[in-house]
Amino acid sequence: MKILIIEDEKGLSDSMVTYLKGESYVCETAYDYAAALNKIERYNYDCILLDIMLPGGSGLQILKELKANNKLDGVLIISAKNSLDDKVAGLKLGADDYLAKPFHLSELSARVAAIIRRRNFEGNDRIQFNEITIETLAKVIMVQGEPLELTRKEYELLLYFVSNKGRVISKDAIAEHLWGDELQGNIDFIYTHIKNLRKKLTEAGAEDYIKSVYGMGYKFSQQ
Amino acid sequence: MKLLTKYNRINIVVTTIALLVSGVCYYFFIHYQLINRLDKDLVIEQLEITDFIRLNDNLPKASVYKDQMTSFELMAPGNTVERAFTSRDFFSKEDNDWQTRREFVYPVHLNGRVYKVKISKSQQETDELIQSILLITLTVVVGLLIVLFIVNRLLLNKLWRPFNTTLRQLKDFNLAGKKDLQLEKTEINEFADLNNAVNIMGSRVMQDYEALKSFTENASHEIQTPLAIIQSKLELLMQSDALQEEQVSSIQSMHNACIRLSKLNQSLILLTKIDNHQFQAKERINITGLIQHQLDIYEELMAVKQITVISNIADDCYIKMNEAMAEILFSNLVTNAIKHNIEKGKIEIKLTMHQLVICNTGPYLNTDPAELFERFKKGNQHSSSLGLGLSIVKKICDQNNFSIDYQLREHLHILTIHFN
Repeated sequence: MKILIIEDEKGLSDSMVTYLKGESYVCETAYDYAAALNKIERYNYDCILLDIMLPGGSGLQILKELKANNKLDGVLIISAKNSLDDKVAGLKLGADDYLAKPFHLSELSARVAAIIRRRNFEGNDRIQFNEITIETLAKVIMVQGEPLELTRKEYELLLYFVSNKGRVISKDAIAEHLWGDELQGNIDFIYTHIKNLRKKLTEAGAEDYIKSVYGMGYKFSQQ
Repeated sequence: MKLLTKYNRINIVVTTIALLVSGVCYYFFIHYQLINRLDKDLVIEQLEITDFIRLNDNLPKASVYKDQMTSFELMAPGNTVERAFTSRDFFSKEDNDWQTRREFVYPVHLNGRVYKVKISKSQQETDELIQSILLITLTVVVGLLIVLFIVNRLLLNKLWRPFNTTLRQLKDFNLAGKKDLQLEKTEINEFADLNNAVNIMGSRVMQDYEALKSFTENASHEIQTPLAIIQSKLELLMQSDALQEEQVSSIQSMHNACIRLSKLNQSLILLTKIDNHQFQAKERINITGLIQHQLDIYEELMAVKQITVISNIADDCYIKMNEAMAEILFSNLVTNAIKHNIEKGKIEIKLTMHQLVICNTGPYLNTDPAELFERFKKGNQHSSSLGLGLSIVKKICDQNNFSIDYQLREHLHILTIHFN
């Protein structure tokens, strides 16, 4: 899977590259408008992470170029302008999703995974993690071939974990993913949700993959 | 008082006084002139009489001729006669009425005797003339006042039209509406100057507003990007396996602070955007659906705290407001009621066409409820919440002309919003 990261802040770009490489994506970077245009003309990507404010031009213009050339690359807009107008304009121009800065890397990874799933596996929307199968279109979970009843939030939580397997995910990232960024203050209630999901999975015969990482959050991993 | 009324009032008073004063002056002037003429005629008579006496060495006969009377009176020795002009009223038998006559008295010395000569002329014609002149003047005054009044009414209304147009435009002027001022062209210099000044001011305000708006956006961009870098670096650090407990705790604190800062920044930007009227497009919004949706989103959150929801929501309530604002408003209200609730508490939501009441159980507050709407005011100063939620709610309500009211009854917090 090839990803192009168009972001002028090198620090942020580096973080994204490091995190996404861990998910075994191949990442390329462009730091300005001209470089980005050059890359999208020459190569195809599974997903493009696109900052709107770029040196030398607007990310929205790059999006227009992509669509004008009938490119099928998935586009995730990453913007510091959390303004509705930009969001609407971006999505209207054919972007797949919109993420406002600052974001959690786990959220980015989950969104990228979702875009790639939608783009590349039309019809094949199955994610397999050992004995757990997630059918993302039907939103069904199977454990060892048996369907498992989960609430909507539990389903989203599991999908989020699987999209970030082997990574430490902070409680804030989980809360924000499930309830949006309106939530402020105490988020200890996340614990109850994790506990319920864990219980349902192990009762259905899955291994206990959800590990609590002291002081930081949770990790979904094999060991 | 309208300018026109005020102007008319002053105009009429001043005109009336001026015309009256000039009328009085006019009367005396004409009166003096005419009397002077009469006196000159009388002096001509005197000359004729003097001529007659010199030629004939005798007095002419007393006569009554064309309203002119001449009489001679022999004075007793030792008596003198003063030369004098007087106006005097006589009773005229012919007209059966009082008449004013101008009388000229002077002495004549003839053959060692002194005669008193009295020549008089009727002043009636003069008086009639003065009366006619005054009558005409008065008619002209009244006519002039009426004409002035009408002309002022019609003309001034028309003259002031460009001003009124400008005023109306200014009243309707809305920065966020992005509509330029459409001022009427006028030939009157003062109004053209006014329009010019208004135009300059309008475009300057517009420019400042745009600058402020882009400043807000840019501030957000400039602050969010470094925050994004810090946050992403911290999250990468979290992935490291070789962390010691101390480091974990530092990273966690930094991460929390970073998230708080970013949320604070977002809330402040949102408040500024609402202040700047950047949520303009209004549409009919089904708030029944919107509130139901918010309750669904936070259902599990409430379940965790074991909060009971008693909802009494009328079907199909619509209000006209901006969609994004409506979402922010109701989401803030619902999360607020959950966040500041107690374990096994309850939330009561009642929605009608006219009002929304949200009651929730919660700890007792020492703060004045009105202060909770202020920025950074929190019921509990140690709470990790930002204290901006209710000020955002208040701001949205203000902008949509909803009235909002916060009451505390024992452990029940009651928030009421009246839609208009």
